[in-house]
Amino acid sequence: MIQLNNIEKYYANKGVKNYVLRLVTTTIKQGEFVSIMGPSGAGKSTLLNIIGMLEEPTYGTYEFMGEDVTSLNERKRIELYRNHIGFVFQAYHLIDEMTVYENIEAPLLYKKVGSSERASRIADLLDRFNIVAKKDLFPNQLSGGQQQLVGIARALAAQPSIILADEPTGNLQSAQAEEIMELFKKLNQEDGITIIQVTHSEKNAQYGNRILHIADGVVKEDVTVA
Amino acid sequence: MFKLNLKIALRNLFRNKVYAAINIGGLAIGLTAFVLMLLYINHEESYDTWDAGLKNVYQIRERHSFFTPDNKEHLQESNESRVGNLIRQKVPQVIAVTKVDPDWDFRTDNSVSVGKAEPIAVNRMKDADSSFFHVFKYRFIQGSESKALSAPKSVVLKQSLAKRLFGEDIALGKVIKVLAWQGDEGTDLTVTGVVEDSATPETAGFTAIMRTGNRDRDPDNPTNSNYCQIYARVNNDTDLELLNQTLKKVYIDYKKSTAPFKKIEYRSYFADGKYLELKALPLAKVHGNRPFEISWLEKLKPVIAICIFLLLVSIINFVNLVTAQSVQRAKEVGVKKVMGAYKQQLIGQFLLECALQSIVALFLAVILIEVLLPSFNTQFHVELSFWYNPHLAGMLLQLFGLFTLVTLLAGFYPAWILSNYNPASVLKGNYGDSLRGVTLRNVLVVFQFIISVTFIIAISVMHLQTNYLNNKDLGFERSNLINIRSGYDQSLVDKIKRIPGVQYVATTTQVMGNTFNVPQEIEYNGNKISLNTVTISMDALSALGVKLLKGRVFSKEYKQDTINTVVLNEAAAKLIGKNPIGKSYKIINQDKMLNFQIVGVIKDYHNEGFDKGVLPTLYKVTHLGGTSSTNNLIVKLNSDKSAAIIEKIKTEWKRTYPDFLMEYTTLNTAFDKVLENNNRFISMIMLFSVVSVSLSLLGLFALSTFVAKRRTKEIAMRKILGASNMQIVGLLNKTFLVLVIIANLISWPVAYLVVGKWLSGFAYRIDMPLYPFLLATIVSIIIAVLTVSIQARKAALGNPVKALKYE
Repeated sequence: MIQLNNIEKYYANKGVKNYVLRLVTTTIKQGEFVSIMGPSGAGKSTLLNIIGMLEEPTYGTYEFMGEDVTSLNERKRIELYRNHIGFVFQAYHLIDEMTVYENIEAPLLYKKVGSSERASRIADLLDRFNIVAKKDLFPNQLSGGQQQLVGIARALAAQPSIILADEPTGNLQSAQAEEIMELFKKLNQEDGITIIQVTHSEKNAQYGNRILHIADGVVKEDVTVA
Repeated sequence: MFKLNLKIALRNLFRNKVYAAINIGGLAIGLTAFVLMLLYINHEESYDTWDAGLKNVYQIRERHSFFTPDNKEHLQESNESRVGNLIRQKVPQVIAVTKVDPDWDFRTDNSVSVGKAEPIAVNRMKDADSSFFHVFKYRFIQGSESKALSAPKSVVLKQSLAKRLFGEDIALGKVIKVLAWQGDEGTDLTVTGVVEDSATPETAGFTAIMRTGNRDRDPDNPTNSNYCQIYARVNNDTDLELLNQTLKKVYIDYKKSTAPFKKIEYRSYFADGKYLELKALPLAKVHGNRPFEISWLEKLKPVIAICIFLLLVSIINFVNLVTAQSVQRAKEVGVKKVMGAYKQQLIGQFLLECALQSIVALFLAVILIEVLLPSFNTQFHVELSFWYNPHLAGMLLQLFGLFTLVTLLAGFYPAWILSNYNPASVLKGNYGDSLRGVTLRNVLVVFQFIISVTFIIAISVMHLQTNYLNNKDLGFERSNLINIRSGYDQSLVDKIKRIPGVQYVATTTQVMGNTFNVPQEIEYNGNKISLNTVTISMDALSALGVKLLKGRVFSKEYKQDTINTVVLNEAAAKLIGKNPIGKSYKIINQDKMLNFQIVGVIKDYHNEGFDKGVLPTLYKVTHLGGTSSTNNLIVKLNSDKSAAIIEKIKTEWKRTYPDFLMEYTTLNTAFDKVLENNNRFISMIMLFSVVSVSLSLLGLFALSTFVAKRRTKEIAMRKILGASNMQIVGLLNKTFLVLVIIANLISWPVAYLVVGKWLSGFAYRIDMPLYPFLLATIVSIIIAVLTVSIQARKAALGNPVKALKYE
């Protein structure tokens, strides 16, 4: 599904190249649950951003679902966002002016899903995540864990094939964090959704089936979780 | 999607109430000024549009020198009456031609009575020939177009006048008695029609069209002429160019053939660069091209400029605030982008938000206009209305255009900035990009302040100049002086003189409010000097209370005064030379040499606006060398009970002229009228400056609120590092102060030029004062500091722990 070849990212400063990523080559298959780990500043988020096409690599090629997306035009990229990629953020990034319901609905509106289909999908998600009672509340009326649930529901609404999560539990207490990780695991195993997460926590990484250890922009270790 | 975006927009407005109020309120104020101006322009543009058929109506203009202010030839609205017949007979395109009275300023109102009832004063009753309603197709409510003016001694009333005279009764067939001046015996006219009041203003406006019979004929003697306005209705599809060529040819032929009867050499029409001209002007263009008048558009240009500026200032506020606030929306943009929103969709969303605010502002503006219109109308002597506007549909279309323009101007830049946010960085909480547009915002604040400071300078200079004019010595005593619209009738004058409290009764052709200048060339010591001649009665100079500089003024004790003496004003005396008293000059009048002796010199006195200097003038009582007269009967009272005395004068008048009403004005009123245009302009500028300054302050206030908020963290850090509250207030002020000072530096020369130009329009003016400039700078700095400090203080007093904890 994802094929990275010799991905490099550096910032040139007064003729000196500051590398963030060096020669990253890896393949991620459909249905995998990959955790990217490493110390602060190792390049984890940059790697995730490149996979999410939010940043472009300075060098190297990137194929997404068999298509070269190394430098893709905006329209095509947006099509991929609409149909294949869901994002989950550490700070949830719900839209403050929208209710829970509207937040989940937003991606469907961009995808131009019909209204009855929209209603049933949202009802489904609300039900599945146990947040039906919260649907008319605004994000600031929810706890962090609830907000992240809404964030995941929103990412799932468009029925993506892959979810990219940047420290999804970083702002949460451990009990809530466990809940979220269980949910990811379930989504991966039952719905076959590919998940790539960035995390600091060894414990969270254990929920997945593969761990990429990164340090100083280089993939040091690629281990499969038993 | 649209619905959701609308919801978000509304929620955002409610969440940021203060910003929203400032944004919308500011825009509403800018729009109000602009829409008022639009209404005014529409009103002026609507002249003569009450009937579609008026596109075939033309005003005829002839080039001649009769009654021009400078005694030179001009293309004029009044034509020699014979031109009417000439066009009727010789120009094939013409269907109907009518001759009608022009609007003379010096004309008195007509007195109209029905039966034995008390007369009432009616203005703008005009005498015309039988064809008036064939040219102007008014809708007849009573009577008919074909019969209305078919017989002499008939009159057609406007609906409003008919109502005034007859109430709800049928006017048709009734007889009214009309007097045109105080000695008039009156003419009985039969009402033969009532026409509808027109929906839009008219150039050839009237309250009644009379056919007394005077306009039917031209003077018998070919050397006499009579002047009137001429309007012609032509065939459909008449080519203006061709029409004017025909007119020119017909006119030249006519002048050539009539020259011998007038004992004039045909060639003399072309002497000294003079030429003959007769032109047709489409009625639609007449109002915008009045001879001897600056067209309304020219007069309005500074106001248009100011209104556009105001609208710009409010739009700038809008852009500024929205851009400044955009950081708060950055996250939303980032999230939406990764959810798969196109950039255009985001631009659309933000434009929608802007449109929402501008439509609210527009509604507010409409409400404001409804509230303000009555006072606007009285201030500018117009009758504007919004909802009852005859062109409401067009007006709404203009408003829609304005709305679109404002939305695009105000919304596009912020929408562009917002939709360009890079999701990867904003979602990480890195708003570094939001500093984009800071330069633009600063430029906009500077621009606002340039306008405000210029306004402040302008109003203070205008205030000084107005003070100067109000307190300027006019050269005559304007208190307890009234001017009755009447000629000098000795028997009435004697009666008025006997009323206790009346000091002088006199007539003059030159008094503030009604001046009729007659130029004359005199010969003094072999030099030709051009002077203005004023004919007065013996007491006039004393009645006006002018100051005598040398010699004496006229008096009954000197028999010679009714023969050949004159008094000069200072300006004329300067042209004559030193010690003019006792000297004589000559004039040549109808081949005869006449001698005049100068007996006195008076101080110049003002009789017109301060934009004009006092003309070098000679005053004479004698009829030698010709006289002139206008309707000025000035009465000087030497008692404070002027109201009671005026009542007594009215009683005397009524006894002498029972059917003609007395019209009078006090010289104080006349003086106010002279200053009126100027004062009106100043009060408008005053209003605009207040609005502009408050808009700029609102903008600055909101912007400083925002900056203080954005720098909360920095301020907290500085406090922890030991900065005092004052230092923090100073820190925030510094940024804005620099902008305000830059704005001041730019507005000084701008104001100097603009205000200097305004001042140069006055013949009597103050020197450009320095202190308004200093004042404006100090005021602008103080208010800017106060505005910013309100916010800065709040930020400085905040608890740093909270600010740092909050993320």
